[in-house]
Amino acid sequence: MFGYIMPDKPELKIKEYELFRGYYCGVCKSMGRSFGTLSRFALNYDSVFLGLLLSAVHNETPVLKKESCIANPVKKKWIVKESPHIDYAADINVLLTYYKLMDNIRDEGGALPRLAHIAFKRGYNNAASRNKHLDGIIAASIDSQVQLEEQACSSMDEAAEPFANMLSQLLAAGNSGGDRSVSRVLGWIGYNLGKWIYIIDAFDDIEKDIKSGSYNPLLKQYKYDNQNIEVFKAGIADEVRMNLMQALSQTTGSIELLKLTNKGIIDNILYEGLYGKTEKILSCITREKRSCEKDEKSVRSIGN
Amino acid sequence: MRNPYEVLGIREGTDAEGIRKAYKELVKKYHPDQYQNNPLSDLAEEKLKEINEAYDYLMKKAEAQQGNRSYRQQEEPGYRNNQEEPGREYYDQVRMYINMGNVAAAEEILNRISFRGGEWYYLRGLIFMRRGWYNEAVTSLKTAVDMEPGNYEFRDALNRVAKTNRQYQSTVYDRRGYSTGPDLCSLCQCMICTDCCCECMGGDFINCC
Repeated sequence: MFGYIMPDKPELKIKEYELFRGYYCGVCKSMGRSFGTLSRFALNYDSVFLGLLLSAVHNETPVLKKESCIANPVKKKWIVKESPHIDYAADINVLLTYYKLMDNIRDEGGALPRLAHIAFKRGYNNAASRNKHLDGIIAASIDSQVQLEEQACSSMDEAAEPFANMLSQLLAAGNSGGDRSVSRVLGWIGYNLGKWIYIIDAFDDIEKDIKSGSYNPLLKQYKYDNQNIEVFKAGIADEVRMNLMQALSQTTGSIELLKLTNKGIIDNILYEGLYGKTEKILSCITREKRSCEKDEKSVRSIGN
Repeated sequence: MRNPYEVLGIREGTDAEGIRKAYKELVKKYHPDQYQNNPLSDLAEEKLKEINEAYDYLMKKAEAQQGNRSYRQQEEPGYRNNQEEPGREYYDQVRMYINMGNVAAAEEILNRISFRGGEWYYLRGLIFMRRGWYNEAVTSLKTAVDMEPGNYEFRDALNRVAKTNRQYQSTVYDRRGYSTGPDLCSLCQCMICTDCCCECMGGDFINCC
């Protein structure tokens, strides 16, 4: 995943912030426990949200413990422990990281992604053997994504479909055995968040993809033809915004149908966090300003 | 028969209201009561007869025209309905499947319809909406509205998309408690700054500090 789904920290209450960090550290520690310390570098905000949401849907009372961490050995922090949903999110994080690295090798090659790929192999094998079903979902989604890119798909809706569908299935699978209508709601939330992530990432990557000549659905949809990048981005921003906002409003509309704990944090992420991110990335027509630097936090930083 | 317009003293193409008005004026003028003791009463009578004929003729024509128009207004959708009649039952099925949430079946049937008018694009827009293909949905709905600008149902569907977006955004604004004016804190800061500046220049803005 990409790491766009973040809270708007200044708008969180202190206790909400502490709890969110508890989930964040919980997923990180769970990854370390299951897949080795190295995998923890791949921790990403999207999977933290996944764990948080699934835990909230199951009305889980988080078990909190104060622990220290290798990133900060002196200061102990609250960490959410013994949550199956956090473990689920950690597994998905590892699986997605592995496929993401494969994707990077396919797109760009180079030694670093290959090294990271080898290092992740063992963690991936662990996660995949535990979650054959999930691994299948992700592999199928990557396959159709590669196909669409090879066909140079010119519809952003069609191009977003594999990723959106994947997230939809992953979220719904996090409630397997639970209420079916809850799974349906989770599926729709996953679909719309997936769509939002895919499109905002495409918009964020426009310059990079033009330079490298990589596939980007927005360049195809709006027939980019070597015009000025700023003019191009400014010209499509409104229509892209319409799509992004629609995905977000569908997400929040669905969230209201669920009975959730930690509603404060989740609402903060979906309303303030994602809205702010949308506006920030859409308004970054050029990359010159410092604030416009890469917004996603992902394994790319290891891969590239 | 003389030109009826000439008889009534009006320009050609005058509407029914104008004709009636001119007629009333002339009837008053040539009414037999006015000619009771007049040797020209027969002429007046003749004149009146001519006026009546002209009036009847023009009114019939005007009514026919109006009737034609209203007839045509009723005819138009009827004509179109006839054109779409083969697709009508398909459209109903598509709507039924959409309402049931069976998007795949709705799409399958819709694709069988070869005549692609406003309703076709409207239904395709609804299907795309259900699938989460918002960009394609809006494109289809816009096409439907362009094809039948007077159709409220189509326009309403398009407006709903914009409305949900606005709802989300206004919730964000409400949560953040955005306000346009300065809050009390910044007002105080401004006053204190003003005071400091004044004091630097030897003056004073807030004399107690």
